[in-house]
Amino acid sequence: MNFFFRHSRIPVHALLSILMGGLIAYGIAYAAEEKPVETKIAQPVTDCFESRIGYSSVTRIENVDPNYGYPNVKCSQTTGAVLWWSDPFSGTIPMGEMPKIGDITHGDFANAVVRPREPQLTYFNLGPNGCKTCHDGKIVPFPRNTKPRLIGMHQDIVDDSLKLMHGRGALWCLDCHSATNRNHLIDRQGNEFSFNQPQKLCGSCHGENYIDWRAGVHGKRIGSWATGGKKRWWVCTECHNPHTVQKARFNQLKPEPPPALPRGMTNASYERDRDGHR
Amino acid sequence: MSEGKTEGLKEANDALQGRREFLKNVCVSSAAALVAAPASTGAAAETANPDADVTVSEFFQGHFLLMSDEEKKQAIARLEKRYSAQYRKKTTVSNVEAPDGVLFGYALDISKCIGCRRCVHACVKENNQSRHDPEVQWIQVMKMPKGNIAFTAENLDKGYPEKSEFGDYGVQVGGNAYKTAGLSTEDAQNYYNDELVPDRDFFYMPVQCQQCEKPPCVKACPVRATFRDHAGVVLIDYNWCIGCRMCQLACPYHARRFNWGEPKLPAEEMNPKTHYFGNRPRMRGVMEKCTFCVQRTREGRNPACMEVCPVGARKFGNLLDPESDVRRVLATKRVFRFKEEFGTYPKFFYYIG
Amino acid sequence: MNTVLCFARDFGSYAIKGGKMYYSWLLFLGFFILVGSYTAYIQFTEGLIVIGATDQVTLESFFANFVFTAHVAAAAVLVVAPGYFYHRKDLKELAVMGEIIAMVFVATGITFILFHMGRPDRTWHIVPFIGHMNFPNSMLSFDTIVLNVYLFLNMIGVSYILFKKYVGTFHEKQLATWFKPIVFLAIAWGPLIHIITAFVLASNARVGMWATAVLPFAFLSMAGASGPALVVLIFLLARKFTDLEIGNPAIDLMTDIIAWSLGILMLVFASEFFTLLYPSAEHANSLVYNMFGHKGLNHYVPWFWGTIIALASCFIALLFRRVRHSYHRWLPLVCFVVFFAVLIEKPMILIFPSFSPSPLGEYTEYHVTLVELFNVLFVWALGFFWLTVILKGAIGILTGEVRHHSAPAVSPDGMRGGM
Repeated sequence: MNFFFRHSRIPVHALLSILMGGLIAYGIAYAAEEKPVETKIAQPVTDCFESRIGYSSVTRIENVDPNYGYPNVKCSQTTGAVLWWSDPFSGTIPMGEMPKIGDITHGDFANAVVRPREPQLTYFNLGPNGCKTCHDGKIVPFPRNTKPRLIGMHQDIVDDSLKLMHGRGALWCLDCHSATNRNHLIDRQGNEFSFNQPQKLCGSCHGENYIDWRAGVHGKRIGSWATGGKKRWWVCTECHNPHTVQKARFNQLKPEPPPALPRGMTNASYERDRDGHR
Repeated sequence: MSEGKTEGLKEANDALQGRREFLKNVCVSSAAALVAAPASTGAAAETANPDADVTVSEFFQGHFLLMSDEEKKQAIARLEKRYSAQYRKKTTVSNVEAPDGVLFGYALDISKCIGCRRCVHACVKENNQSRHDPEVQWIQVMKMPKGNIAFTAENLDKGYPEKSEFGDYGVQVGGNAYKTAGLSTEDAQNYYNDELVPDRDFFYMPVQCQQCEKPPCVKACPVRATFRDHAGVVLIDYNWCIGCRMCQLACPYHARRFNWGEPKLPAEEMNPKTHYFGNRPRMRGVMEKCTFCVQRTREGRNPACMEVCPVGARKFGNLLDPESDVRRVLATKRVFRFKEEFGTYPKFFYYIG
Repeated sequence: MNTVLCFARDFGSYAIKGGKMYYSWLLFLGFFILVGSYTAYIQFTEGLIVIGATDQVTLESFFANFVFTAHVAAAAVLVVAPGYFYHRKDLKELAVMGEIIAMVFVATGITFILFHMGRPDRTWHIVPFIGHMNFPNSMLSFDTIVLNVYLFLNMIGVSYILFKKYVGTFHEKQLATWFKPIVFLAIAWGPLIHIITAFVLASNARVGMWATAVLPFAFLSMAGASGPALVVLIFLLARKFTDLEIGNPAIDLMTDIIAWSLGILMLVFASEFFTLLYPSAEHANSLVYNMFGHKGLNHYVPWFWGTIIALASCFIALLFRRVRHSYHRWLPLVCFVVFFAVLIEKPMILIFPSFSPSPLGEYTEYHVTLVELFNVLFVWALGFFWLTVILKGAIGILTGEVRHHSAPAVSPDGMRGGM
């Protein structure tokens, strides 16, 4: 060691300078890889939908709960779907009387609330009297009978009334819509129901699903998990479009974005390759 | 002898001199390097570190379950103060106990799941996960092929061995082998990015913490930071976790997530109504996972994932109440547990409705 | 007390003196220590996000290297055991070197665990009575206890032996009664730490590659290969650069142990691979990924074949006397390859590929980051620094160059270093 230093200081200084330079270089290299600046949070989506696009709209309102500053809903930036409710019962009304049919619910829907369907129906909200604004018997006369025929209106809902995508030819419009009171639905026994209670109509044919729905096994209820607690129920038409159910019981949706890849992986193409042996 | 001694002394003196010089050089260069290096990396090191606000008392707090009521109150007050300052909004940290006579269970209908991932993102909205670097999501949805596309005639003669004296192909391994059909993690896709879901040839299965009755993670934790509460939910005391990740090794469901870095949670996205064991913002280096939204379920409300599912595939309730949705599902549907061969007895049931 | 201070001073001053090669080696380590202290600072402030671990592959190089240090620490007792169980006098003299290796490697392993933890500042949580240790349930709590006890046992053993030799009273009749039991306990404890480490991994049923009965045997045979390989290299270096007398028989015994261990390892591998690959059920997916890749993810394939071929070649090479007795060329080379093959096997075969497929079917390739690499090198450099310095001092004491002024130059029974 003495030999080393007595005869040349240069290697020592060289080594130490390389060390120092290495540190600085490393430092600069690391600084260059710094994490991106926090992106500004995009404006939250205000026009959201719950289950059916266009038929289950919710508008986001800020600060409905001043305790926590909660908006009424939080929606997805990519799809506009409602992802979160601050109050599960906001905008709901009681479900109303439900018949006792000897099932396990005993017709006890005292704590059941629903979001009314009527505000979501386009044509219902075009005029002050709902559908009656046009279907008052004068502007649009009532039909003479309820036999199926081609209809020139509402083709955005049903493009061919003789080929209704519900029932495989056994149903057409007036089997469910009351001929004389378009603000209501009607069943085969002539009972009329509000659009807010479609389960009474749908359940008259789709009995098994209706029973399961009453038991909470089919469909959706949010709110309290306890038996007997207050729950918001989704009614049939909140999820299913009765005019297109034959094409799809539930319409396809745009999904939310996939998770981030694990660090170190650049893509997940391996998982889509189903032809590779193992 | 004396000459040698003098020689030796001189040598020693020179050696000492040399060593002093060396040390001096090292010190000077190191000092210069130490000054230079941070200066050049100043930009990278500048991260607003809320951990800097952690007080000494929070550092020394013990396991929450072993604290006295007074200590618990203090711990919660500290956290509320810290979170309110950090996220610039009034934050509450609840300590409400689990209700008695309740065992939480979950049921998920895989015949209905459409793979929309809303449950994943609802959970994130509710539970204050880190949004990026790392992006933490407690629920992961698998997309699995149905099997109707798994068998083709072209594959008939692709077996092994290719040709045998038995005159046929694939005596040992048929050409249509190695194609999964139905529920299997082997061909599961976790990063699918379809335009529309559901894809008709696939079905979907979300996985989150199964809240096992015999959780391998609880057994593996060396400090008991993770434990099962009496309502059956497996929880973590985030201030006690040492980040050794033995629980993540032990979990057979890939349910646990680790905060690899300081969680990046924008203040606008933060949910200020939190629970000590649930959705309060975590710190770096600790584990987290689905808690069945303990901040909601202990107060009677359903978990966020359950509320958001647009097809009603998720059912939640009290397994001890025969009238609850989950019990009804268990009674009437064909139910199975995911990976039940691990003997973990999950309380998360999958069924085909 | 004065004597102890003299011991510390003499030991220390002898330990940091050396020739050009010695200082170059220390400077080389110093470079990594310096750079590593900076990257360690980065990791401890920013968190583990600066390393390559993910939720899918949750164990990183630190843990893999920890398992390797447990290999070497456990096997270092193989230097001590022949002296005490088989009355090999030549190895009994060198026993302290084995204990030093064990002690330093356990400490290095514990340091690796500190780097592995997400919150090393909360390490006090695991201390019984101050924190809470989930004792009989968690395998890591067992590991914590056995590693610390082993460190403690070896520290006592090393200090006692060196001090006694320093003052020249390391004779059969002048030893404390607790000494021999401590040594025996340390010998038994060595394999124990390794079995517990194997159990820490084997207790996870979800990792198919580890939930196997063969894991402790794999670990112990790899320990028996890599530990003595390092010991042989150290012996050869000591023979070359110091006055310490290490006879060929001592080195030959170590080489024999390596050869036998590699043989057993071949059986262990064969058994594991057969059991998995013959039926080729889902259990085998990790191994197939490691051996052949999976749908384009081939990162681990060359590492697997390279390591296995290296180990098999070393085993075959050691069957030849020419290699075993080639103390200047082939033997050090083979030992070097064995050491590094087992070291590489830990991350590249045992740890990283075993996480794929994940329970949800994900395959992930683990990419070590620069910070992680430098942190690993930091801990290794620290470990080797202490190993070098302490071994140097110990060799000084063993050769008699470092002795208390009151100690005789050569002990009464004529053997240098006594005993």
